[in-house]
Amino acid sequence: MASTRRNVWALGSDWADPILWYARGVKAMKARALNDRTGWRFYAAIHGIFPPLWQQYGYLSSTDTPPSQADRNTYWNQCQHGSWYFLPWHRGYLIAFEAVIRDAVVALGGPNDWALPYWNYFKQDGLPPAFASANWPDGTGDNPLFVEQRYGPNGDGNVFVPLSEVNMNALGEPDFEGVASGGSPGFGGVGTGFAHGGRVHGAIETQPHDWVHGLVGGGLSPQEPGLMSDPDTAGLDPIFWLHHANIDRLWEVWRQNSAAHVDPSKANWINGPASIGEHAFILPMPGGQSWTYTPGEMSNLATLGYNYDDLSAPPSPLVARLERLGVGITEATAIARRTAMAKTVELLGANTESIRLSGAEARTSIALDPAARNRLSTNLNEAARTSAVPDRVFLNLENVRGISDATAFNVYINVPEGENPANHPDHLAGSVALFGVRKASTADDKHAGDGLTYVLDISGIIDRLHLSRAIEAGQLHVLLVPRNPVADEAQISIGRISVFRQSN
Amino acid sequence: MWCATRRFSGWLVVTSLVAWLLLAFCWNDVTIPALCSAGLRTPLSDSFSMAFVLNSPMQLAWGWLLMLAAMTPPLIAAPLRHVRERSLANRRARAMSLFVIGYGAVWTIAGVGLQLVALAAQLASSDARMGLALSASAATLWQVSPAKQWCLNRCHRRPQLAAFGAPADRAAFDFGLTHGAACVGACWALMLLPLFAGQAHVLTMLAVMLFAFAERLENAAPLAWRWRGPGKALRIIAVQARMHLAPRAIIRESSH
Repeated sequence: MASTRRNVWALGSDWADPILWYARGVKAMKARALNDRTGWRFYAAIHGIFPPLWQQYGYLSSTDTPPSQADRNTYWNQCQHGSWYFLPWHRGYLIAFEAVIRDAVVALGGPNDWALPYWNYFKQDGLPPAFASANWPDGTGDNPLFVEQRYGPNGDGNVFVPLSEVNMNALGEPDFEGVASGGSPGFGGVGTGFAHGGRVHGAIETQPHDWVHGLVGGGLSPQEPGLMSDPDTAGLDPIFWLHHANIDRLWEVWRQNSAAHVDPSKANWINGPASIGEHAFILPMPGGQSWTYTPGEMSNLATLGYNYDDLSAPPSPLVARLERLGVGITEATAIARRTAMAKTVELLGANTESIRLSGAEARTSIALDPAARNRLSTNLNEAARTSAVPDRVFLNLENVRGISDATAFNVYINVPEGENPANHPDHLAGSVALFGVRKASTADDKHAGDGLTYVLDISGIIDRLHLSRAIEAGQLHVLLVPRNPVADEAQISIGRISVFRQSN
Repeated sequence: MWCATRRFSGWLVVTSLVAWLLLAFCWNDVTIPALCSAGLRTPLSDSFSMAFVLNSPMQLAWGWLLMLAAMTPPLIAAPLRHVRERSLANRRARAMSLFVIGYGAVWTIAGVGLQLVALAAQLASSDARMGLALSASAATLWQVSPAKQWCLNRCHRRPQLAAFGAPADRAAFDFGLTHGAACVGACWALMLLPLFAGQAHVLTMLAVMLFAFAERLENAAPLAWRWRGPGKALRIIAVQARMHLAPRAIIRESSH
């Protein structure tokens, strides 16, 4: 029997039955021991575990009996980030988690078709009330959906996701798989092996996934991130699962939005990392039995036995862009439908020195190579004249390092001198939350200390600079504005900020 | 972009193949003077002098460079691609060349040291098997050490590169130097093996290259005393072979 995941805001009341049963299921999981494969902490550690932080927040103590080494090797620290496996791995994770919760719900006398709600933060900006209160609806004070270490975008415990700061632009990405060479990272990410923290985050992963993690979790200091801000604690927060259900929904929205939106057909993706000699995706199901799955098995919701109540898609950002460049709406729509990932990526320019993000803002300038800039201008002129697909332009924040995953900042381009950037949303290149940066900055670990790289689509900004001829100045001025001032001890640095164009 | 990647990979393969052919058909082993290696009491400095009379420094240098040209293209394909992708189109060839020069310079200096060690060992003992056994022991010890992992981790590094002018040149060259240093650190002990392998020199080089390439397929990892080697490569081969026989079974069985 297919189950339907519903928007948490549309369930009818703050403590509607699906949420109440979710809370009861979470409570049952939380009561289980650390070494119980279906326990709350075991499940969170599947996503990732950093013992010092777990101890600091009271989720791990010397009295806990750890799972066997074999279980830890098999199940823990599996989450896939910076990878084309990001979406399918998390879909499997949600399916297994939902099965474990449902099993607990049924054992408590609840409905056997219980489904995990999703948190649609594109329509309402607050935290669902059941997660914001320390009390159950009857006023008793051990609501398992509430966590202390959820500090919100301003670090004051007021948790919300500003509607103006999340978007679904990733749904306009023509291809699932992107490139790690400066161009689009694709809707679903770049090709990797088993990547428990890859270097380049895909479009849907950067926004809204990372950003919502960073805003919800927030942090009090670099050493005190909110649970949601760090991949090694995120699974401990019950809101994590509703956030990921929304990301999972967006994958299906993207697939249904265009016949050209298809999952990768490469064997490495379909068969997963086990097919290249790496760790398989493996999770415990109710009773503790292992379930091994592949990305290819995660593609079709119908065969997986669940669906979503809302798969409507926003208008294509590419259509708006083509109209801006002077292409008619009919032609623009037709072009958007047939557009595929462009083949050639080239560097347009870069800043000269790495920058340290500390305090309330950081600035740098990017010089553009005259020859490459001319090629771009020629292409944009051609696009308006012949209805050809225009080049796309991407801002790359390369080798972003630091120790504070709770750092989140907006990136603006060419904000007029002395003006408040918040008053210039047209100049917003994107929003970046450094989900995973601590691990990525550790030299002797899986990342080799290279940090993370974020790729932001700035085609719209470049179009306007092109149309106003401001691009001929040959420089872009980049302004980084953190949500909250960044402490110097967070050690946030950006190796290089560069601009790439991607063309056919 | 994909065409460019294929072209780029093709050039590396061709370079490596040509060097291997030259090595296979034109290589002459280093000649150790019979007098020195017979165990007579000849001072080591005299032995070196005689060895260099029979093996000119130029001959040694060319042999070493040929060896690098054969063995290193698979190892530098990924960092070279990084240099190419992160450089302006009109600077790509220059940046890649500077990377190779930096990388080659480090290996050339290392080569002098390794060749001197090999020559000294061969001059000090008439038993070639002794040198091979000692170098194999050193390679094994280094292979399991945290220091080797430290070097391998740095082989995975992809730094930011300046885009314009002299800083861009310096960045590409420096990346070549640092990558070369990490590579020497990871492989110096393995590279001793061919120098003691006598007639099996070229075959040993081939084995070392495949081993070094295969171990780079593993991700960076925490430092520890443990065996490290071509495990992932072997798993890929095994999985791919079995997938052709039983496509679904292998995916389900493969977990650690």
